[in-house]
Amino acid sequence: MALPSAVPQLPLLPRLLSWSTWAVIAGLLIISLRETNFRIDDMWGSLVDFVLFFGNFWPPDWQRALPQIWRPLIETLQMAWLGTLFGVLLGTPWLFWSSRNTSPHPVLMWFSRTLMTVMRSIPDLLYAAVLVAILSFGPLPGVVAITIFTLSILAKLGSEYVEAIDPGPIEALKAAGASGTQVIVYGAVPQVAASLLSYIIYIFEVNVRASTVLGFVGAGGIGFLLNRYVALFQYQRIAVLLMVIFVVVIIIDSISAYIRARLT
Amino acid sequence: MIEFRNTQVTYPGGLRALKGVTLEVPKGQFVVVVGLSGAGKSTLIRTVNNLVVPSGGEVLVGGQSVTQARSKALRQMRAEIGMIFQTFNLVKRSTVLRNVLSGRLGQVNPYTSLLGIFSKADLALAHDCLHRVGIPEKAFARADALSGGQQQRVGIARALAQQPKVMLADEPVASLDPPTSHAVLSDLKRIAREDGITTLVNLHFIDLARDYADRIIGMRDGLIVFDGAPEAATNEVFEEIYGRPIDKEKDLRGAA
Amino acid sequence: MASRVRTATPVVVPPLPPQARRTKLWQYLLVLAILGITAACLLTLGNVSWERILSGLERNLPPLWRGLTNPDAAIFSRAFAAMMETMYMAVIGTVIAGVLAVPVAFISAANLVGGNRFALPGRGLLAAIRVFPELLFAIIFVAAVGPGAVAGIMALGINSVGFLGKMFSDIIESIDPGPGEALRATGAGPIHTFSYAVVPQVLPEFASNVLYRFEINLRAASILGLVGAGGIGGLLIQRIQFRRWEEIAMILLVIIAFIVIVDVISSSIRRRLV
Repeated sequence: MALPSAVPQLPLLPRLLSWSTWAVIAGLLIISLRETNFRIDDMWGSLVDFVLFFGNFWPPDWQRALPQIWRPLIETLQMAWLGTLFGVLLGTPWLFWSSRNTSPHPVLMWFSRTLMTVMRSIPDLLYAAVLVAILSFGPLPGVVAITIFTLSILAKLGSEYVEAIDPGPIEALKAAGASGTQVIVYGAVPQVAASLLSYIIYIFEVNVRASTVLGFVGAGGIGFLLNRYVALFQYQRIAVLLMVIFVVVIIIDSISAYIRARLT
Repeated sequence: MIEFRNTQVTYPGGLRALKGVTLEVPKGQFVVVVGLSGAGKSTLIRTVNNLVVPSGGEVLVGGQSVTQARSKALRQMRAEIGMIFQTFNLVKRSTVLRNVLSGRLGQVNPYTSLLGIFSKADLALAHDCLHRVGIPEKAFARADALSGGQQQRVGIARALAQQPKVMLADEPVASLDPPTSHAVLSDLKRIAREDGITTLVNLHFIDLARDYADRIIGMRDGLIVFDGAPEAATNEVFEEIYGRPIDKEKDLRGAA
Repeated sequence: MASRVRTATPVVVPPLPPQARRTKLWQYLLVLAILGITAACLLTLGNVSWERILSGLERNLPPLWRGLTNPDAAIFSRAFAAMMETMYMAVIGTVIAGVLAVPVAFISAANLVGGNRFALPGRGLLAAIRVFPELLFAIIFVAAVGPGAVAGIMALGINSVGFLGKMFSDIIESIDPGPGEALRATGAGPIHTFSYAVVPQVLPEFASNVLYRFEINLRAASILGLVGAGGIGGLLIQRIQFRRWEEIAMILLVIIAFIVIVDVISSSIRRRLV
């Protein structure tokens, strides 16, 4: 059946690239499966075990789990809040220093960009684990881990926003004799403020999820409780924990979505 | 007031935008620079506040070299030079008042300005500037809610808030329709007259130049090819500047 | 530097209009709320013993610094092998998720098969999956099927289905209905319409999202081992417990190098795709 000429054909290069990407992915997949001795029947066996395993979660043990959960839960939220706040406070100057159009000095720009690339590659749990070894158990390593993670992704995406702004007002402010910082505050910030704020709220959502597990390596919050329950096979309490996490994250996500909708 | 001493500008790609300009502009004069796009007008005007750094020669404002000024000294000199742009260059999401106040940034306390706090005197001045350009009621409107002519007026008010000795205007009316262009230019000239501001304006169109200039400078290919009173700028002179004949009938812009 | 202002005629500064005043009020309240919450957090955060922290810092920082600046080359081959395993985990997890997400996405897209009847529960399921961080899945799966890469791959897979399913759904809902209409007008059946009108429009964006998810999964996979789910994390957690900073430094370098290289390749492909 001949195609009608009304159907637009996408240009050649992107289509070629997307097909070859699929081919590469397929190739990688085959190699990976071979190397890890991953077999489909293995997976199936695990899946069955897996589904049966969930029977252990019922009925959820409310009475014994809930009183144990409150305090660590609050601690989790505190870690997420403080971590995000400090991350934003430290990350905001970084992001302006990493952007080509607002950086006061090219060497500073190169340095902050490289530092951000490196810091961004390390997942937050890794920071948490290392920090627990240095600072000992408790919420502090969690807060620091989240701070570092937040400031590095804020600097990366924030600098992308900043590099896309209209350079006109920046030129005008420089022409009027404003200092570098004044140019940023009056020329760059108003242009990116709304998008940045929306992204920061999104980061907070991500951080709340992350804080729930940081405690698993000792960094405070309900993750620690999770560790204990798993070690003691107290699956019915884990069920309660999962449900609490679910509810809390949904609440925070909804509030966050509401605020972000009002911002734009 | 403004002095160009054999100013030359060569851009990194090799383009020679200014090939040696020597010129003096006395205090209070309203000078219009005309020429084709690419003749060097924008470059010339931007060497006055060092937004473009000359590759040779010097530019002096008020007897002091702008070309050799650095950081703080340069900012202080820029604070006395106001500039308005073809694309207005306002911060669209900020209010008109905030845009005008940002003209004061070179002269206010650096710390309070970062918090957005300006003195009563600065606020009064900003409102006064808006008054002088004719749009006092728009002070709290968002900048992008205004028409093109109004936005340029805000640009003028911002430059005026600097209480400048010199005003630079890079194609200020190129994006505006003819009646609005005349209105904006006449306001600009009136204010320059009232405050004794030395003004340098880039324009495309002959009629506007002849209507408002005290002195016309024609540029072509990076050099000055004409320098004299508007009466002396006949159509033949303009043909020289543009390098091709001007047909009065085909000229879509008439005098207001 | 005092501001020098000459005012020719005294001008009355007009007061702020009510709208501006209300915005200012909200801004003040917001700042106050943030400060308040922060203060509350700082004051009630117990379990922070400053002496323990300071002594911990004193004890640990010097060897940490020494270790970080002298990465141990001996452990490089083990780290490299472990990182390759990590990468394979990420690949399998992402691909399985990519495959599974497609049907789920098509069901959840309101503009195709079935409409809102299926779309809402579909989206709901995907959103529910996205509530949980991958590590949480990993922890549960390790408890369920035992430690090792399988648990990790499953965790990455399920988590990624949640994200890819949503992204794919969004993409499907945003396609141009034009080509589909044009084809149907010629009498083409649903399969032809699908393959020629829908698929070409969504494929490049799907691929781009899969690549992006892969970048994220690679990072996630490197820490799954910390909870026992396979990959380089297992090697790392041992070293951290024994505080062998030189080896940790080398492992971190390997992780960072892999992630940065994958990021760069993936970004350049993605830029050309969409």
